[in-house]
Amino acid sequence: MLLQGKTAVITGCSRGIGKSTLEVFARNGCSVWACCRKPSEEFEAFILNLQNEYKVSIYPLYFDLADSEQVKKAAKEIFSSKQKIDILVNNAGVTPTNSLFLMTPLDSMKEIFNINFFSSMQLIQYIGRLMSKNRSGSIVNVASIAGLDGGPGQLEYTASKAALIGATKKLADEFADYQIRVNAVAPGVVETDMIGRMSEELLQESVSNNHMKRLGKAEEIANAILFLASDQSSFITGQILRVDGGC
Amino acid sequence: MNEQKYKKAFIESFNLPDTTEFEKLEYNTFEEWDSIGHMQLVAALETEFDIMMDMDDIIDFSTYEKGKEILKKYEVAF
Repeated sequence: MLLQGKTAVITGCSRGIGKSTLEVFARNGCSVWACCRKPSEEFEAFILNLQNEYKVSIYPLYFDLADSEQVKKAAKEIFSSKQKIDILVNNAGVTPTNSLFLMTPLDSMKEIFNINFFSSMQLIQYIGRLMSKNRSGSIVNVASIAGLDGGPGQLEYTASKAALIGATKKLADEFADYQIRVNAVAPGVVETDMIGRMSEELLQESVSNNHMKRLGKAEEIANAILFLASDQSSFITGQILRVDGGC
Repeated sequence: MNEQKYKKAFIESFNLPDTTEFEKLEYNTFEEWDSIGHMQLVAALETEFDIMMDMDDIIDFSTYEKGKEILKKYEVAF
């Protein structure tokens, strides 16, 4: 168990990569502050099951990442628990509709940046401060190959993930003073709800462009996050790990 | 009591002697109180007083005296 006795904060836990990461972390002995926007019976049952099966603590934390006051309140709740936080996974993100740049309203760009980039920065400021007190920690940002390679449409998504990648490299340097590592995974196209926004044509193109000729699975991304979060990667920081089936 | 705790955070964060003229301490005017030292001080104060400081207050915390003013917002009495 790679994360035995550790505690993590993971955003976007209700579905997709976040939900898989929550499960993979629990399976590896990690207690988790499981952040998502709103409660549901299904999610409550899911975390209860994880707690029973893996004998870890899962603390659900519901807030809207688009609202900085709610993010601050959530951070204060974590802070008040006086728990040592070992890992932060900034996973939550949104994809816009697939429109061309010249037809993308500025407000839409700001909205996407707010969730995909600024909320992650805000959480890193709070959780990074907690980690700095212990002079240890691992932060994993969930970026995208779109942030590295670009792609058709979705300028705001691509740019927000590129910003997250830039921040990852910069923060790795700044946080090294506190022995905190900062890395990112850059998933390719993964079988989650988010691909519903992609056209069939674009989806087929994504599959045919990778060496393995298939979509990724959420758990495959979660396993890469596990590696970067764990001490198995103790001398790795400032890196962007592509998990995209090769290209 | 809180004054002593407050002073202790400075002493431990910046490795200062007890004889320091604390009231004259200012951010970035001596080697230890640089940006990294500043965050060490914030961490020490947050632990000592069981508070979580807002980012604006961390930035405004520019002198020993100003820090006391800021901590009063968090119900730390001097």
